[in-house]
Amino acid sequence: MTVPLLLFSLVGLGLFYCQTLLLFPQIHLRLLGLLLFFVGLRPSFSLAFCLALILGVLQDSYATTPFGLHLGGALLVVGMARFCHRRLLLQKTGPQVIASLGVLTLQEIAFMVTLLLLGLQPFAFNDLLAFRGLELLATAALAPLMYALVQGLEKFLSRYGWRSSWAQE
Amino acid sequence: MRPRTRFRTPLIIAATFLLVISLLSLSLKRSPVLKKVEAVMVSLTAPGLKGLYYVGSTLKGVWDRYFYLVGVQRENESLRRRLAESQQREVQYQETLQSLNRLEALLELKKQVALPVTGARVIAYDPSLWSRCALLDQGQDHGVKRGQPVLTAGGIMGRIVETYPHYSKVMLIVDRNSGADAMVERNRVRGVLQGKGGNRCSLDYVPKSADVQVGDLVLASGLGGVYPKGMIFGKVSQANKKTQGVFQDIEVTPAVDLSALEEVLVVKVVNMALTP
Repeated sequence: MTVPLLLFSLVGLGLFYCQTLLLFPQIHLRLLGLLLFFVGLRPSFSLAFCLALILGVLQDSYATTPFGLHLGGALLVVGMARFCHRRLLLQKTGPQVIASLGVLTLQEIAFMVTLLLLGLQPFAFNDLLAFRGLELLATAALAPLMYALVQGLEKFLSRYGWRSSWAQE
Repeated sequence: MRPRTRFRTPLIIAATFLLVISLLSLSLKRSPVLKKVEAVMVSLTAPGLKGLYYVGSTLKGVWDRYFYLVGVQRENESLRRRLAESQQREVQYQETLQSLNRLEALLELKKQVALPVTGARVIAYDPSLWSRCALLDQGQDHGVKRGQPVLTAGGIMGRIVETYPHYSKVMLIVDRNSGADAMVERNRVRGVLQGKGGNRCSLDYVPKSADVQVGDLVLASGLGGVYPKGMIFGKVSQANKKTQGVFQDIEVTPAVDLSALEEVLVVKVVNMALTP
């Protein structure tokens, strides 16, 4: 599992760099959440879990929110992906976008509830909520691309004989 | 094997829940272990950010100064090429001039502040909407410490909340965890400037009897010892007295665009009791 974990962590780090250096502050997307969702849909649970730990800690390290907020959000996405894993057919674009939107919305609600429980006020301005809604919609629209990326990486790994070790987990 | 798989999912969920709750709890208690984890993660990933930032700047420079001109050369006669070269030089001059102006403004600010300062570059921002902070390329090795204020030529940026060997994290004044004693320049009415996320703050605890108008400058009062007295936080963009309770609802927009800063000054004094 080490090589796939390393590869997906590097992809996650690349997406984080891309968000920080290229997209910020004009464009806000939840690319790491989307990546975790589609990795969570693959057979290996341990890979998705470890990736959620790494990317969650990465996001928490760069934020001023309580440490563990993004980590919890990342683990929640993986949990939702495992829930969808055997119940939904996510081969077509439509279901992929809808499922991604649902999962990202649940993650957003979990963030808000956690911050509220910790005594921090997440509902600062209504237009920020609308902004976050747009962010979720735009991210969900990229679901087919992320699906293709994860599949492409899986094919790349299988070419070097890593597929069997994934499937057995 | 069956009982093991039967309890696997609830066990994983319970363990995960426990892990997240423990981390949040430790975080609220400012656990040094978590700070170390955070420091390790930033130290591991920030050099990549810094490297990519410089590579991007260099490539952009090469593109702007060479490749773009090659394309123009192919399309145009020699006179057009000369013109493009002149234009490119003009862009370079403008860029240099802007850079000079920014640095001059910082130098002027350094004189005004009359406190020991060090220059720093902003190398990254936290891309999430849940917090507003930035990463500077100066850290513990350069004498940067927690609590030190960070200024720009236009006003206050925020304060250092974490330091690492070569980097430091600044909490911007618009971050929800940011709070500072402030006053309105025109009539010295005091209040607490509280970050509200996005690019806005609010001036809290200002009584309805106080005369605060849109456009009023909001300055650091110097009380609390975090920010130097008289430095600009921003301007009042909205003042509403039609609220419940005894206080007004005042919204403040920062004096500078906190998402597009390049060079800043770190004041190397923590808990300044003085008022320059």
